[in-house]
Amino acid sequence: MSVRSMAAGLRSLFRKERAEMELDEELTGFLEMAAEERMKEGMTRQEALRAARLEHGSLEVTKEVIRSATWESFIDTCWRDFRFGVRTLCKSPGFTAVAIITLGLGIGANAAIFSAVYAVLLKPIPFKDSDRLVFIEKQNQPRGWTRNPISPAEIVAWRSESGAFDDVAAYQEKSCVLTGVGEAEEDPCEVITSNLFPLLGAVPIRGRTFSTDEDQPGGPRVVILSYRLWQKRFTAEEKVIGRAINIDGDSYTVVGVMPSNLSHLYASPYGAVPELWVSGIALSPTTVWNDYFGIGRLKPGISLQQAESQMDAISARIEPMNPDLKGWRAQLMTLRRNTSGDTRPALFVLMVAVIFVLLIACANVANLLLARGARRANEFAVRNALGASQGRVVRQLLTESLVISIAGGVCGLLLATLGRKGLAVLAPQVLLRSAPDVAVAAADFRILAFTFLVAIVTTVLFGLAPALQNARPHVTETLKETGRSSLQSPRSRRLRSTLVVCEIALAFVLLIGAGLMIRTLAGLGHVNLGFNPTNVLTLRVPLSSERYREPQARAQFWEQAVSAVETLPNVESASVSRGLPISGWDGQFFTTADDPNPPAGQVPDANYVVVGPNYFRTMQISLRGGRTFNDHDTNASERVVIVNEELARLYWSGQNVLGKMLQIGGAGPWRTIVGVAGNVLSQGPDAGFHSEMYIPYQQFPWLMDGPKHLVVRTSGNVRPETLVRSVVQEIHRIDKDQPVADIATMEQIALEPLAQQHMVMALLASFAGLALILSALGIYSVLSYSIAQQTREIGLRMALGAQQGNVLRLVIGGCARLAAIGIAVGLTAALTLTQLMKVLLFGVRPTDPFTFTAVIALLAVTSILACYIPARRAMRVDPIEALRCE
Amino acid sequence: MTTTPSDLVQGTLDMLILKTLALQPMHGYGITMRLEQVSNGVFRVNAGSLFVALQRLERAGLIKSEWKATENSRRAKYYTLTQRGRKRLDSEEKEWERQVAAIARILEAS
Repeated sequence: MSVRSMAAGLRSLFRKERAEMELDEELTGFLEMAAEERMKEGMTRQEALRAARLEHGSLEVTKEVIRSATWESFIDTCWRDFRFGVRTLCKSPGFTAVAIITLGLGIGANAAIFSAVYAVLLKPIPFKDSDRLVFIEKQNQPRGWTRNPISPAEIVAWRSESGAFDDVAAYQEKSCVLTGVGEAEEDPCEVITSNLFPLLGAVPIRGRTFSTDEDQPGGPRVVILSYRLWQKRFTAEEKVIGRAINIDGDSYTVVGVMPSNLSHLYASPYGAVPELWVSGIALSPTTVWNDYFGIGRLKPGISLQQAESQMDAISARIEPMNPDLKGWRAQLMTLRRNTSGDTRPALFVLMVAVIFVLLIACANVANLLLARGARRANEFAVRNALGASQGRVVRQLLTESLVISIAGGVCGLLLATLGRKGLAVLAPQVLLRSAPDVAVAAADFRILAFTFLVAIVTTVLFGLAPALQNARPHVTETLKETGRSSLQSPRSRRLRSTLVVCEIALAFVLLIGAGLMIRTLAGLGHVNLGFNPTNVLTLRVPLSSERYREPQARAQFWEQAVSAVETLPNVESASVSRGLPISGWDGQFFTTADDPNPPAGQVPDANYVVVGPNYFRTMQISLRGGRTFNDHDTNASERVVIVNEELARLYWSGQNVLGKMLQIGGAGPWRTIVGVAGNVLSQGPDAGFHSEMYIPYQQFPWLMDGPKHLVVRTSGNVRPETLVRSVVQEIHRIDKDQPVADIATMEQIALEPLAQQHMVMALLASFAGLALILSALGIYSVLSYSIAQQTREIGLRMALGAQQGNVLRLVIGGCARLAAIGIAVGLTAALTLTQLMKVLLFGVRPTDPFTFTAVIALLAVTSILACYIPARRAMRVDPIEALRCE
Repeated sequence: MTTTPSDLVQGTLDMLILKTLALQPMHGYGITMRLEQVSNGVFRVNAGSLFVALQRLERAGLIKSEWKATENSRRAKYYTLTQRGRKRLDSEEKEWERQVAAIARILEAS
């Protein structure tokens, strides 16, 4: 369409009356001139006008022909259809309300889940050319280890030798104790390379980022603050730049403040959000300490695979230089993917689920429209008789459907806003971390566009079939039947039955999904973790200040703290440990005296846990043999270790391990195994067992930084939360400046890995419930309608001697047939579709027979109930009444 | 003998209107009369087709219109060929001649 035609069209659209008048005048003039011509031949004026009209068509028809040739007339008709649709719908408020709410639920669920999917998976992270940013980790395929932190040796080699990157930055996660600014506090922090922020394209709001000369361990000690920390601890004062603050006992100069929207979007969503970034990262090409993460900016046009294979070549070259590098290769993923965590499958399953809900809603509304169309058959027949084409009627009906779905869309947006608030409550930490705006119920224009698009698609989905069906011209039959209820054509009945079958099938699949999640969580709830998480309070005491530099000082602190806490009322026992099961332990290599020189790349490893004597009693970890630690295990006594059953099975299968020797970390003292502990599901109920070695904390030196966690078991049934105050008080009595962090019950920690499954289960169960209700309504409405249609037939049958029981059987039989077909279709679909949610399941197969049987029973009972009410109505048909009313 | 304009190819009517207006500005009825006279009554354009075509040509910028008094002192909308219209007419005439010549050659050959 040209601009000129557009302008002319818009002119006549907005100045319709004037355009109309001009056209009228022009045409009248035309006809009069034609008449005058004829009058010259001797006709009377009347005859001449009639002849002209005969030749050129009537004025109104001609005007219509001219008008309808323009594009704006299309819009005009749409608008008229729209207003007509609104009027028609207002006349049947019941139907309209049900249709709008049904669609609103479907569209709302879609908008809410889409907004989560968008925020977590699709929205680009706010960094410069973020699609070129990759997260660098490593994997060891021969040993089955993936997503491992990387070492300085690898960072240095990859950075200097790989041609795939513009630049590579690295960071190390740790925690820092900030003193000298109010109360001592421990904050998550990161040691970063100076190029990290420039590489991301993140600019500080105050001051600067690090310079390259600050990149050395011995260089100037400088720090960058997070926006949150700046606001909270420094009251957002401008003079903070240049100020010296104390971190872990050393003085650092503040050089910058990062903006708040930087949050932490480059790192894994499972780690802590850093509040401080400090300089002085030690990247030596000979260090193989795996404690770093890399972020690279790919050169334009380089793919992830290309970069990975280049890095693998470099890894293969440096591998012989250090046995610890054996078998390790780069593992890359886009930064976006890394920050989404493992939420992908859950969101995918939920997206499929809401699409199903929407389809069921559409089927229901389509059914309502069909029933309504049958009642309006007269209206359509009259229009048809007056010259409306079938297409014209279809267009009118589709416009009506559009009105419904737009109203449904608005209703859906409101529901989605509520839904997003609910989502924020249900969402696991990971989801909130990777997309903080999941919880923000603001209407993004993309969400609006998506909702609108869904509404349009919906219109076609539920409106087209009924419109085509209803607009079929049977003028004579329908008009002949005026006054009687019009008969339902077999075609229309088939269509409605098909819709009901689809609804049941979709509801079936959703119910199976929800059932499998419920079974998974029920199963996980009963898994024996190997320790008892109830009534245990845990808290972290970092001990990172100057006075705890020496291990003796730390050990002394813990001795005091544990004995103080153990004397508190309601405390059954207390102990210390380095790390907690489920929230994470670190691994260490070890060698056994039986196999002191394993080949590189096959050195055994196990979780390394430094614990106090009462640890096993406090956590209620069973002892399978030997003894636990006691106060006689000191620096002066024999070095001892307790291993778990898994380690014993792997390295001394079938032998008595007590008295065997092992050495941890490739150096240091040999330790004698004095006890065997029961296995602990240390990485969550859905992960397997790992080898574990427990070291008494009184025996130095520790590898890594010693115990940090206090675990306290309450006596009786005292809630562990109630002890927090008194325990913290005891710690502050020993050291008033000592910060206490991460206060949680062991039960909370044990539930965290299942948070995502809980969310999926809660949402799937709601969607499945909704689907069940909607399809029951669908069955009910179809059956009520078809019974109303069959009143005469039923009356006739009863007049001819059919009993109430026969009628009931007839109706229920028809209904059971629909349900059976629906269930059969749903079963077939579910068998393949549940494979998609395999990752979310634990302890149940996607084809779990129990779930399938239960869902079949549930749907069968619901369907029979839904048709029982209309069936009873059919049973009570009075033959005389029924036959008379026709 | 009458041929209804609907028998014509769409473009043909447009070309004939443009040709008619090339002589002088005319109102709608004038165009019909002129077409009828010149074609010796072969083309009788009815009002509907004529005004649809005029509307189309005007929106394409090939003609423009203005209200003027007729010789019988009636108000009528007069259509004038624009510069663009003149160019279009030229090219359409050439194309038409080419096609007619081609058709003639085919007819003669058989």
